[in-house]
Amino acid sequence: MHDVSALSPQARASTKPTANRLRLVLDVRQSLPAWKQGLFIAGSLAVGLAISVAVLAVAGISPIELGGELIAVFNADSLRAVLVQAAPLMLVGLAASLAFRIGFWNLGLEGQMLFGGIFATGISVYQVGPPLTRLLLMGLASAVGGALWCLLAGFLKIRFRVNEIIATLLLNYVAMYFLFHLLYGAWQDARSAFPQSTPYQPYERLWDFGFGINSGLIVAIAAIIVAAWLVHFSRLGFYMRIVNANRSMARVVGIPIQAVTLWTVAISGACAGIAGFVNVASQEGRLTQSFANGYVFSGVLIAFLSRNDPIVVAVVGFLIAVLFIMGQTLQVFYQIPFTMVQMIEAIIVMSVASSEFFIRHRIHLIR
Amino acid sequence: MTTSLALKGIRKSFDGVVVLDDAEFSGKAGEVHALLGENGAGKSSLMNVAAGLYAPEAGHVFINGEPTALSGPAEARGYGIGMVHQHFKLVMPFTVAENILLANGASAYRSGIRQIRAAIKKQSHELGFALDPDRRINTLSVAQQQQVEIVKVLVGGAKILILDEPTAVLTDAEAEQLLATVQRLARAGTTVVLITHKLNEVKRYADSVTIMRRGKTVATVDPSTTTAAELTQLTVGETQTLPARAQGEATGTRLNVGALTCSRADGSVALQDATFFVRAGEIYGIAGVSGNGQTELAEALMGAREPAKGEIWVEDLGDISRTPMSHARIAAVGIIPADRYTFALAGSLSLADNFAVAEVGSGRYGPLGLLDRAAMQRDTTRAIGEYDVQGVRSVKQKAALLSGGNAQKLVIAREFSRHPSIVVAHSPSRGLDARACNAVHQRLLSARDRGAAVVLISEDLDEVLSLSDRIGVMTRGRIVAEFSRPADRQAIGRAMVDHA
Repeated sequence: MHDVSALSPQARASTKPTANRLRLVLDVRQSLPAWKQGLFIAGSLAVGLAISVAVLAVAGISPIELGGELIAVFNADSLRAVLVQAAPLMLVGLAASLAFRIGFWNLGLEGQMLFGGIFATGISVYQVGPPLTRLLLMGLASAVGGALWCLLAGFLKIRFRVNEIIATLLLNYVAMYFLFHLLYGAWQDARSAFPQSTPYQPYERLWDFGFGINSGLIVAIAAIIVAAWLVHFSRLGFYMRIVNANRSMARVVGIPIQAVTLWTVAISGACAGIAGFVNVASQEGRLTQSFANGYVFSGVLIAFLSRNDPIVVAVVGFLIAVLFIMGQTLQVFYQIPFTMVQMIEAIIVMSVASSEFFIRHRIHLIR
Repeated sequence: MTTSLALKGIRKSFDGVVVLDDAEFSGKAGEVHALLGENGAGKSSLMNVAAGLYAPEAGHVFINGEPTALSGPAEARGYGIGMVHQHFKLVMPFTVAENILLANGASAYRSGIRQIRAAIKKQSHELGFALDPDRRINTLSVAQQQQVEIVKVLVGGAKILILDEPTAVLTDAEAEQLLATVQRLARAGTTVVLITHKLNEVKRYADSVTIMRRGKTVATVDPSTTTAAELTQLTVGETQTLPARAQGEATGTRLNVGALTCSRADGSVALQDATFFVRAGEIYGIAGVSGNGQTELAEALMGAREPAKGEIWVEDLGDISRTPMSHARIAAVGIIPADRYTFALAGSLSLADNFAVAEVGSGRYGPLGLLDRAAMQRDTTRAIGEYDVQGVRSVKQKAALLSGGNAQKLVIAREFSRHPSIVVAHSPSRGLDARACNAVHQRLLSARDRGAAVVLISEDLDEVLSLSDRIGVMTRGRIVAEFSRPADRQAIGRAMVDHA
């Protein structure tokens, strides 16, 4: 018991050595029920949003206008845009959170998305399989592409002890230039001068069910459900927790650490690859230069805010999508720069990060 | 003599669990004051209050008669209170001098490290330690790390020295030397608080003794006029007797360690052709001064370290020294490591997770796709009852919340529940109180009686002597001598130091 509490910093209202006075004491909590943790996170999220509203008010958008815009996000058109945007965000958030669960800092989400898109487009370009199964094959190929690109970093880490933060991050650039190589070369659309591939056939595109429900979102939600099962109910999920909690112990009790690491890395990469597929097959309809831009930060952000829990990833992914779409509106109608949206993201991250303190500690008054 | 440190009416709880309730303590300058009690009696917690680590919910700390509210360890250090914790507070990649500098502060690194180095040399010479100020902590043995802790506090100018179970990791000779030194410090005017549960230390070295039980102070007595039986009575509430034990019935060889060789991270030789065998139904004790390769041997046996040469042959499995961890090996070899939170438990995970972890791979708790959490919790609940793990509110609570003795019981419950044919125990009673220690020993004996081959690696010679059927003495990475029961304590002691 003293092991834990010995780390507790002591805070007091007064510094004078008097023995009998009301004072604030900081204690380490032993545990906190999940719903209370949720309450703390929700509270700090509210504080973060309040600060963001204040910042926007200073930038010239009154809270009332802002509220109007927020409500406007939920009209049919905007909601459709939000849901389309939510699918890839959920998938990259999932990719990041799975890897973070074993302490593998996968910052190569964009590169894995690019390879997902490239593999999917390859199926389209070389017309693999009949039209009926084409889309399914493209989806599977994107998962393989993303997984392989991520496994490369995993292999480098295990075999040569290359830091995965550096490896995944730099492999993003390798993936990007490989994409350019294809788009300015073999795969360039002959009918246009732009660096993009020939448009997909209609049966190679993810379709829309109406009401803003598109099949990309279905794919993302299916992935969320599978990941939630994996993390909470499967043996791999259990092993992931042990490996993350105590690697030396995992080794001694016979947990196959390498296999756990490689499988997790592969699944993480596959999720990012599918995110790339969802983007090219729903929004873009062809392989473009920029379909993965900016997803690394969002993926890491979603994973962090959701504390690596797949179900929460879905919720946070949706909220970040709302923020994205609102940001686009504000950009167009109020001429605020896009960096403002990123700043709001950062404010929210810091607020939620500080809730961790209250989850771990308890402040109480003693006499 | 004046009262230098007094604690009155101290109350402290963690999340509703009361660990100290109206606890009292009063130590005078110039005395060695022992604080005696079982694990979880609140000894460490009470002294953590004195050291400024815990803020008490009620009660007061008096230093030299003045009521003092301590805001933290730094302030306590300012008042001359220094504590050496049972779990060391050292920065592993730093050198000895850097660690001591970090704790005591200096205006500049260069001049500071120079002064500190001189102070370390002087202080460790006085204490009889052979500390190299420029060695990195992670290359030192546990016993040497403790020496660093003690030197650290004394260099900081502590006038009230609190030692939490200082001899738990020391050999007899080291412990005697340390306690004699500590006694000398007290004679020179220091207040020494000695947290312990070893009666003979109290009898031999303490000037007075305060006994705690379940967070309360039971009594403060003079050890010279109190018998060991009375002290035991006060500590446990009931007197425990160690039952006589029968000789083991050894049969065929189960484990053969042949010419095992490996080196440490700093290049020095840890194991040099270590060779011994263990038969079914016997306890093979490995005695030795700490830092002679016992840790590396234990790590090689548990699969945490790959030896450079040699074999670890296990009946039915063959040489396992370099093969990856297999399920057959987990089933055959039960491991009780010295450092529980490094190799045995994940403190941030639940008791159920920690208990079930070794069996999940066998499919006992469901197929790959579906983990049977109910079965994990059921088995954990049963084992907790069977192995008498105390302080459990729920099997879902974090393992880090267990006290040392109960954490060890949980490890033993897990390792013994699969009835391994070989048991490797490294300092299994380190930091445990008499009752928990006795329980651990009974488990080892019953494993032997069941026909298991037990390897007991321990720096506590009494433990090795009382349990082992055969004893190997380890010096500089080899087994230099073997003794059969009943072994001559003097002869073993000589073998331990002759080659060192």
